Amino acid sequence: MEQILANGVYLGSQYAMIALGLTLIFALMNVLNFAHGQMYVIGGFVTYTFYGQWGVPFVLALVMSCVTLAILGALIEKFLFAPVIKGSAREESTMLLAAGIAFLLDALILIIFGEKQRGVPKIVNGVFNYDFRLIMPYDRILVCVLAILSVVAFIALMQYTKTGRALRALAQDRTAAQLMGVNVDRYSMIGFALGAMLAGLVGGLLVTITGVNLGMGGPTSIKAFMMVMIGGAGVISGAIWGGIILGFMEAIGLAVLSQYGDITYLLIFISLMIFLAIRPQGLMGKPWG
Amino acid sequence: MGFSARQLIGVGLFLFAIFVGVPLIIGATGRWDFYFTLTSVALLAIASAGVWLTFYIGRINIGQGAFALIGAYVSAILVVKAGWSFWVSLPAAGLFAALIAVLIGLPILRLRGVYFAMITLVLTQVVTLTALALPITNGAKGISSIPLPSGVSLFGIPLLPDFAAMGNTKLAFYYTACILMIATYAALYRLVNSRLGHLCRSMQQNEELASSIGVNIAYIRIVIFAISSFFGGIGGAMFGSIAQSVYPSSFQVADSVNFMLNCFLGGLGYVFGPMLGTLVLYFGWDLLFEFGKYQMLIYATILILIIRFLPNGLLSVRIGKGGGK
Amino acid sequence: MQRRTLMKTVLTAVTLSALQATTAFAENPVLKIGFVGVTSGPAAAWGISNQRSMETRAAWINETGGYTIGDTTYDIEIVSFDDQKDPKRAIAGMEKMAQEGIHYVVGPNVDDGAAAVRPVAESNGIMYFPYAFPKSLYQAPASNAILGMVANYQSGPAIYKYLMEEKGIKTVAFIAANESDPLSQRDGGVEAAKALGLEVVSDNVTYQVDTIDFTPVLTPVMRAQPDLLVLSGVSPANAPQLIRSARELGFQGLISTETAQDAGVLAEGAGDLANGFISVGGASTPELASPMMNEFVQRYTDMFGEYNDESNTKVYALEYILETLKANPAAIDDVTAFQATMDTFEAPNPYMNGDAKLRYVGMTSFGQKRQVAVPLVVNVYQDGAFETLFVAEVD
Repeated sequence: MEQILANGVYLGSQYAMIALGLTLIFALMNVLNFAHGQMYVIGGFVTYTFYGQWGVPFVLALVMSCVTLAILGALIEKFLFAPVIKGSAREESTMLLAAGIAFLLDALILIIFGEKQRGVPKIVNGVFNYDFRLIMPYDRILVCVLAILSVVAFIALMQYTKTGRALRALAQDRTAAQLMGVNVDRYSMIGFALGAMLAGLVGGLLVTITGVNLGMGGPTSIKAFMMVMIGGAGVISGAIWGGIILGFMEAIGLAVLSQYGDITYLLIFISLMIFLAIRPQGLMGKPWG
Repeated sequence: MGFSARQLIGVGLFLFAIFVGVPLIIGATGRWDFYFTLTSVALLAIASAGVWLTFYIGRINIGQGAFALIGAYVSAILVVKAGWSFWVSLPAAGLFAALIAVLIGLPILRLRGVYFAMITLVLTQVVTLTALALPITNGAKGISSIPLPSGVSLFGIPLLPDFAAMGNTKLAFYYTACILMIATYAALYRLVNSRLGHLCRSMQQNEELASSIGVNIAYIRIVIFAISSFFGGIGGAMFGSIAQSVYPSSFQVADSVNFMLNCFLGGLGYVFGPMLGTLVLYFGWDLLFEFGKYQMLIYATILILIIRFLPNGLLSVRIGKGGGK
Repeated sequence: MQRRTLMKTVLTAVTLSALQATTAFAENPVLKIGFVGVTSGPAAAWGISNQRSMETRAAWINETGGYTIGDTTYDIEIVSFDDQKDPKRAIAGMEKMAQEGIHYVVGPNVDDGAAAVRPVAESNGIMYFPYAFPKSLYQAPASNAILGMVANYQSGPAIYKYLMEEKGIKTVAFIAANESDPLSQRDGGVEAAKALGLEVVSDNVTYQVDTIDFTPVLTPVMRAQPDLLVLSGVSPANAPQLIRSARELGFQGLISTETAQDAGVLAEGAGDLANGFISVGGASTPELASPMMNEFVQRYTDMFGEYNDESNTKVYALEYILETLKANPAAIDDVTAFQATMDTFEAPNPYMNGDAKLRYVGMTSFGQKRQVAVPLVVNVYQDGAFETLFVAEVD
């Protein structure tokens, strides 16, 4: 039981962070960013290169991941998403652009970082073992704490800074925000960069536990979609809840349903569909975000 | 319905091109491999037409892979285990997919926007996992060695040839796929220009408003989703017959996403958009074959450039020229 | 205007690539060998190690003057097609190979692709070497597929038997990804283990391929306390994480798999926790590798920057094609001649020390000779490298 709860907290904190960036971008620009998973992978590879290959301290490598992704995100927003959103008749068209970017990043990751699974040396050694009822390696605990801290920092940023207020205004009502003197173009770019940066940060954190390979991008995006959908699209707290709920669903589902074997995930997915059919806007989303 | 002379000529030219032109060109250049690629394009275009139709009622559908997989399995099971003729199993596959769509559509069609998109995405995974778990689908082992479509004759007159007796099935599959594709798009065109089509357009703009003026939106949604999935089932079943095998991974999330992208690329405002989108996306990949390891890079770059400069789809070029035709 | 220029550029690029003829670069006539497999996207690692093995060997042959079949010396060209792990694309790839006049193709890498290309290969006279295990591909009436490696239902029993005799294992647990290939391999493994008298304590735990934390997945398996944990059909990306999670959960028993792994990946992903991990390899451990194998590894590393141990099992298919063609030059564009030669073909195995032979096997498993005889080398990982545990033969 303790183990299941611990697994749930650990998974949930990871998932919440992945979902945060995606939902932020969605809230600001109504873009379902198919390339989110690829950005997460790039974050992992950057940390791998700096920390694993060149021996730069882990924290610095993590910062490099964030910086790289923030720049990448800003460029993608400014030169691709912004003009396409302006020019398209239906805003869903950005999905094609996002998918194209996902393909492109996949191709670039393959050419630059290669096809192999990569991993870095452990940041902390040892395993916390409470009487074999609760087993958690120290590095996982550390990563989990770091993830929670980042989520808290992100919420603080959104609540108490000028940038955060502007972004929230933008997410609530684009036109109204513009009328109130918010530089919409600038803050869209900042928001997108921030979302991408979050992806990079999780990638960098998780590379110490799971390693990284170019195949993780697509599936990660899909998982992130699910979390966002559980919590409610475009709502920050929704993404956090969605991540935690999916984390616990997996931890509990895998433990309770393990006797059913192959159909564990099938049951998780079906319950997700039933949940959404009952509550079409997720836990706390706007009715049709 | 009145067609202008210009439209009729256009359709005539198109039919001539795919039934006579393409075989002539392939015969002259010797690129026999293009038959399969173009057959694929035709079949994927059928499934994409379904996705386009759900767009038409304002729903982003990332679940067509699920219905294509259902169609492929239904046809394969009927042919292999029940000994049906493929030609009977083909409509059965479409109808079964439509039936599933009605059952699933009842609860999920209330969802909109990204929620509908994501729930259909999950649906694709659910169907793949179900195929892995069920005994009738043969689980992970899939169904392989499916016989080729057999001949059909009525009162001794052969209506359809026996594919297994042919030396080269490529051309036969190509023609079959093209005929199915044309039937699909003719039906689509007819539907869009019917009363139902007008109702769909009103729903696409504002469901509440449409509902308030007496449109039975729940009914229309189900009908449209069922038709859409019927197309998916047909496309999938035909593919299973060409590959002579079906696996849980025959259609997966990536396929669902591609079907949707085909519609975006061709242009959501055009009935023939998904056909063009499929051609460009699928055929484009094959044409870039020569670039080896840079294939993906170039493919993605071209895709991004197209959407960057033609955000409303390829067919919007015509409007750009001043909306002549 | 901008829009039109763009369209023109795109069209020109597309047309050019379509018309571009394959360039012949040497004076020797060119013999094309195909590769259809996955070299982009999530499973890229499988196909790329395959494709690179072939390209390394081809470049090596061409550099040393070409390959003589009959009385013609050929340069070898590898024509690769990326099927994106999609059976529909795989068919298109096989059609492409037929178009290029190729009769010998390596790949596809997965079950569904290998099954889907069968009609095309058989109607166009193409022999292909899949890395997929379903028996129906190789049993009559299927005629054109040749299994390019040792199947799990052949290596599994050998490993379990060895571990029963040497380490005294009694119980075994299986875990597999929720996908066709791993699930089929798991079922084969369970069957083999039961036939040997092992007690299977857990065989229905699966994980999604996108799992980022294996602790919850493994927790129920660990409760069964097996002597041996088999990672069925595990991908090189997931292996280190599974090993690490199992060890961190306090698992003391043995861990094994029937697929090929890369020592570098294990070292990075699991470090010392991977010590003792048993996998199937090729012939690159120091005591087995011939000078030619070592040169191959060297050339691969020079060409692509880094070797991949998975290539140890993938070096063989091209060598088999060429050696068999050399034995019967008529087979160069006639696969029936190739099939006839397969029954009696025998040549020395250049990649392995000792008197190992290249020959076709598979009578026991398939009822016809539709498998290449590669040595079944079972490796154990120790401190960053593989050591040979034992070597066996498949008939």
